[in-house]
Amino acid sequence: MLNHSLKPHYVCLSALSVLLLFMSPATAVELASEDELIAILTSPDAARKDKAITCKHLAVAGTAKAVPALAPLLADPQITSWARTALEVIPGPEASEALRSALNEVEGRTLIGVINSVSFRRDRDATDALIQRLGDDDLGVVAAASVALGNLGTEAARAALLEQLEDESETIRTAAAEGLILAAEQLLSASDVDGAISIYDQVRHADVHPQRIREGIRGAIVARQTDGIPLLVEQLQSDETSLFGLGLQVSRELPGAEVTEALIKQLAQASPDRQAKLILALADRTDGDVLPAVLAVADEGDGEVRVVAIEVLGSIGDASCLPILLKAAIDNTPNVSEAAIDSLERLSDATIDQAVVQRLGSANGKTRHVLLRLVGMRRLEAIDELRKAIDDTDAQIRAAAITALGETVRPEHFSLLISRVASPQNQEDVDVALKALRAAAVRMPDRNECAKQLSAAMADADLSSKTAIVEILGNVGGEEALKSLASAAKAKNDELQDTASRVLGQWMTTDAAPVLLELVETAPSEKYRIRAHRGYIRIARQFSFPTEQRVDMCRKAMQAARRDAERKLVLGVLERYPSQGTLAIAVQAAETPALRGDATKAALVIAKKLDPRSGDVREMLGKVGIKPMKIEIVKAEYGADGVVRDVTETVQAGVDGLPLVTLPRRSFNSSFGGDPVPGKPKQLNVEYRIDGQNAEASFPENVTIILPMPE
Amino acid sequence: MTKAVTPPTRRRFLKTAASASAVFAVPHVIPDSALGKSGAVAPSERIVMGGIGIGRRGTYDLGCFLGEPDVQFIAVCDIKANRRKTVKEMADQRYGNSDCDTHRDLRDLLARSDIDAVLIATGPNWHATAATLAARAGKDVYCEKPCTKNISQSLKLAETFRRTGRILQAGTQRRNLPHFEFACELARTGKLGTLRTMYAHPAGMQAKTSGWMTPEAKPPREQIDWDLYLGPAAWRPFNKAHLDGFNFEKGGGMVGGGVLEWGSHCVDLCQWANNADLTAPIEYDPPRDNRLEARYANGVKLIIREDGWLPLGSCPVRFEGDDGWIETGDSGKFVLSSPELLAGRDVEEIGGYPATFHVRDFLDSVKTRQQPRANAEVACYAHIACHAANVAIYLDRPLQYDVDTNQFINDPQANRLNSEALREPWRI
Repeated sequence: MLNHSLKPHYVCLSALSVLLLFMSPATAVELASEDELIAILTSPDAARKDKAITCKHLAVAGTAKAVPALAPLLADPQITSWARTALEVIPGPEASEALRSALNEVEGRTLIGVINSVSFRRDRDATDALIQRLGDDDLGVVAAASVALGNLGTEAARAALLEQLEDESETIRTAAAEGLILAAEQLLSASDVDGAISIYDQVRHADVHPQRIREGIRGAIVARQTDGIPLLVEQLQSDETSLFGLGLQVSRELPGAEVTEALIKQLAQASPDRQAKLILALADRTDGDVLPAVLAVADEGDGEVRVVAIEVLGSIGDASCLPILLKAAIDNTPNVSEAAIDSLERLSDATIDQAVVQRLGSANGKTRHVLLRLVGMRRLEAIDELRKAIDDTDAQIRAAAITALGETVRPEHFSLLISRVASPQNQEDVDVALKALRAAAVRMPDRNECAKQLSAAMADADLSSKTAIVEILGNVGGEEALKSLASAAKAKNDELQDTASRVLGQWMTTDAAPVLLELVETAPSEKYRIRAHRGYIRIARQFSFPTEQRVDMCRKAMQAARRDAERKLVLGVLERYPSQGTLAIAVQAAETPALRGDATKAALVIAKKLDPRSGDVREMLGKVGIKPMKIEIVKAEYGADGVVRDVTETVQAGVDGLPLVTLPRRSFNSSFGGDPVPGKPKQLNVEYRIDGQNAEASFPENVTIILPMPE
Repeated sequence: MTKAVTPPTRRRFLKTAASASAVFAVPHVIPDSALGKSGAVAPSERIVMGGIGIGRRGTYDLGCFLGEPDVQFIAVCDIKANRRKTVKEMADQRYGNSDCDTHRDLRDLLARSDIDAVLIATGPNWHATAATLAARAGKDVYCEKPCTKNISQSLKLAETFRRTGRILQAGTQRRNLPHFEFACELARTGKLGTLRTMYAHPAGMQAKTSGWMTPEAKPPREQIDWDLYLGPAAWRPFNKAHLDGFNFEKGGGMVGGGVLEWGSHCVDLCQWANNADLTAPIEYDPPRDNRLEARYANGVKLIIREDGWLPLGSCPVRFEGDDGWIETGDSGKFVLSSPELLAGRDVEEIGGYPATFHVRDFLDSVKTRQQPRANAEVACYAHIACHAANVAIYLDRPLQYDVDTNQFINDPQANRLNSEALREPWRI
C-alpha cells in the first residue's frame, strides 16, 4: 500500500529518474544530489528500473553515504548486479563491509555474485567467510569462493584451497586448483618464488581438469626460469599434443640461451612434424645461437621441414646463409626454390646485396635467373648487368631483367623501359615491360618529367600499350599526367577516351577538378561528358575544401549540368556541407520544377543544420515557400506487420518549426530504441498537425523525414 | 600502385611481421604445407571447432573457417533455436553428414573435451566473458570485436590468456590485410620520417550506456533463452528490441559507443603503426568538432575523427610523419604523399575487409602456438585506448591515463568507469 505522505515526493523522484535515464551518470550526479539518488533507492514506491539506473549513477559518484541504501538491493535477484556495480567501486570500508555481510545473507546465484564482488575488491577481511563457503552445497558457490580466495591470496586462503585439492569431487578440486593458480601468481609477483613453485607443483600433480594441470606446468616452468628446462623438455617430449603445444608456447616465454640450447637438442630428436614447429619456436627466440641448427635443416632436411627452415632463415639469417639459400633457390622442387627466393629477398644483412651483384657477373642458367630476380626484389644497383640481360636470347632471363629494371631503374635509364613498351624487340616482353614500367614510373622522383616521357612514348605505341600507359599516368599523378590524360580523354579512339575519363574520375587529388570541368564541355561524346561531370561532383563531395571553394564548385557543377540526375547529385553535396552558400544554391535549384522536391529537401536539411531561426535562413526558406509553422506530432508509430512502437515523443523532439524531422541518429532503429521487428522492413507512420491542419504520412526506414504540407 | 585482387599467401603476409612483445612475439613464417594445408589433412593436424553465438557476423566468420581444410566444425551453441538450426544445416551441408551438435548453453559446449577451439561471435556483451570461460576450459579462441566492455575486462582478458596458455585472436581482421599492413609498416619502420599524427575513424562520437526497456512477454526458453542472452549484463526484463545483439550493450554496459565499435579496428591499427601494441595513449581530450585527440608517451598524436577522409572506403586510417603520409581504408586502395614510399612494392589490393587471412593466421597459431597478430595482449591495449577515449567522451573532460598502473590519473570518477559488476553467476 502506498504511503500517501511519500507519494508527492516519489512523483518528483520518478520524474528525476526518467531524466537520469537519458543522461550520463556524471551529468546526472551534478544535477541530482546524492541524497536525491539515495531517496530513489529507499523509496518503496520506486520501480526497479529506476533503482537500477540510479545504481549506475551512484557507481560513478556515490560515496559511503549511499552504501546503506545499496546494501539491501543485494538480495533482490533482479537488481543485485546493478547494486554490486556501485558497491564494487565506492571507496572506503563501508562498501566492503556491506558485501561481506551479504555473504551470510544471500544464497545461490545471488551469493555467487556477491562473492565475485568481494573478490573484485580484494577484501582480505573476507577470507574466513569465504573459507566457510567452500563447504557450501552449491558447487557454483564453492567455485566462486575458490577463485575469490585465490584472488585474496592470503595464507589462510591458500591453506584452505590446498585442502580442497584433496576433495572427493573433481569439480571442487578443479575449482580449488583455479584459485591456487591465482594465488601462486600473487606469490610470484611478490617474489616468493618457492611458495609459487610449491603451489604450481601441487596443482600439476593433482587430479584436476587437464587445463588446470597445464596451467600448473606452465607456472612451474616459468617460475623456475632456467631450472625449469627439464620440465619444459618433458613437455616437448610428451606424446600428448596439448603438452607438446604447451612446451612450444612456454619455450617462447622463457628467456635464456640454455633454453635455446635445449630446444636445439630437441630438434635433433623430434619427428619431422614436430621439428617444423620447433624450428618456428627457435625462430622466435632472441637469445642463443639458433642459426647453425636451422641452417643444417635448411641444407639437408627432408621435405617440408626443410622448407620451414629455409623460410625461417629469411627472418633470422645473415650473409652466411647465402650459399645454402642460393643452392636451394635453384632446387627442382618448387616449394623449396620459392621459399629460398622469398628468404633471400627478406634477409636483412646488407653484405648480401654486394654478394648478389658480384655473383651476377659470372652466373648463368638458373642461378643467373635467380640473381636477376633478387636484384629486383632487393632493389640493387646493377644496371650494366641488367642492360645486358634485357637483350638476352632467353625469354625468362629477359623477363627477370625487365622486372628487375622496373624495381631499380633510375631516371636517366627510364627510357630503357619505355622503349620495351613503345618499340619492343620481342613482342612477348611487352606485358612484363608494362608492369615494370608502372613499377618504375610510380617511384620516379620527378613525376612531371616521368609523365612527359610516358606521354611522348604513347605516340609510337600500339593501342593496348597506349591504354596501359594511360593507366600508368593515373598511378603517377601530377600536373603533367593530368594534362596528358585530358588530352587522351579527347583522343579519337573510344578505348582511350574510356580509360582516360575513368582514370580521371578516380583521381585522388583535387587538381583534377578543373580538368574534369573542362571535359564536361569538351569530351567527344556525351557518355564521357557525363562521366567527367560525375567525377567533378565526386571531388566536390568527398575531398576537404574551404567552404567558399566548395560552394563555388557546386555552383559550377550545377551550371554545367545538362541532366537532372547530375543536378540531384549536386544537391546531395549541398546537403552534406551546410552553409549560406550551399543553401542559396539549393534555393535557386528549387525554381526548376523537376528539382523542386529534392531542392526543397536539401534546403531544409541545410537550414536545420544552420540556425533556422536566423533572419537570413528564414528569408532563404521563404523563397521555397517554407515559413515558420507550428507542427504538432499527434501520433508516430514505428514497426512492421502490426508490431509497432510508439515513437511520438522522439519524432516531436525532432521538429523545430520546420517540416523536417531530425532524429537523434541516422538509423531509425537506433533513434527509436532498437529494432522492433528484426529482419522486416519497417515503416514510420506519422499523424501530425501543421498550423492546425491534420495530415498523415508514412516513411520507409532510414529516409529523410519531411512532413508533407496538409492539403 | 595496385594490382589485380589475388589473395595473398600467409608467406607473403608475414614478410614484414611486427613484433608484439618478447612474450607474445609475432610469428615468422609458416609454410602452408607445414601446417597440413597442402593436401589431405592428418587427423592430428585437424582443428576441431565449435561456435558460440553464430548470427549474421558469426555466419560470415564461420564461412571462413569452413573453407579451411584443416578445420572440423562439430558443434554450435546459441541461445536462439532458429540460429542453432541454421548453423547446424550450414555445417552439415559442408561435411555431407548430420554430425554438428547443437547446444543452448555455452558451458555445455565448452565442457566437451573433443573441441580444440571456438569461434565466439555473440554480441559484444558476451565476448570477454565467453572468451575467458573458453580459455579456462582449455580452448583457443577466435573472438569477434569489440572483445571487452571496459578497461578492467581488457586487462583480465590478457591475463587469462597468458595464464591459461591459450591462443586468442581478436576479430580485428584488418591486421591481416595487405594495404593496412603496408600502411602500418611505413609508419613503424620510419619510412614516413618521425611519426607525428595518426588518424582513426570512429562509428560515431557518442558514448552509450545500457538501459532498461518496457517489459514484453518472454518467449519460451527453448526458443530464446533470455537469461543466457543477458549473460553477464545486468538484469532487465525481456524486450525483443534488446535481441539485436549488435546493438545490445554495444561495447559497454556502463560506457560503450562508436569509438569502441570502429576503434577496435582503426585505433588498433594506429597502435600497431606506432609500435604501441603494449601500451596506450596517456592523454585524452573530449571531442571538439568531431575530433578527439589523444597522445602517446612518445608524443605521437592519435586523432579520432568522423570526417576529413579521402574516399578510400570505411574504417580508414591515416599516418603522418615528418617525411610523408599514407591513408588507406576498406577499399583496399591507399594514397601516399609520394610515390617513392612504395619503393617498388606491389601491395595487393583486397577490398571488402575479408576475414579469411585473419582466420588462417589464428588456425596456424593454434597449431604452432605462436601468437597471432591480434593476440590477447595486442587486443587488450587497443581496447583500452578505445575505452579510455569513450570515458573522456562520457565525462566530457580531459583525462590522463597511467599505462603502468592502468588507472586514470587524479580522476577517481573516471576510474570508476573502468569496470562493471558482471551479473551472477558469471565472472572473468
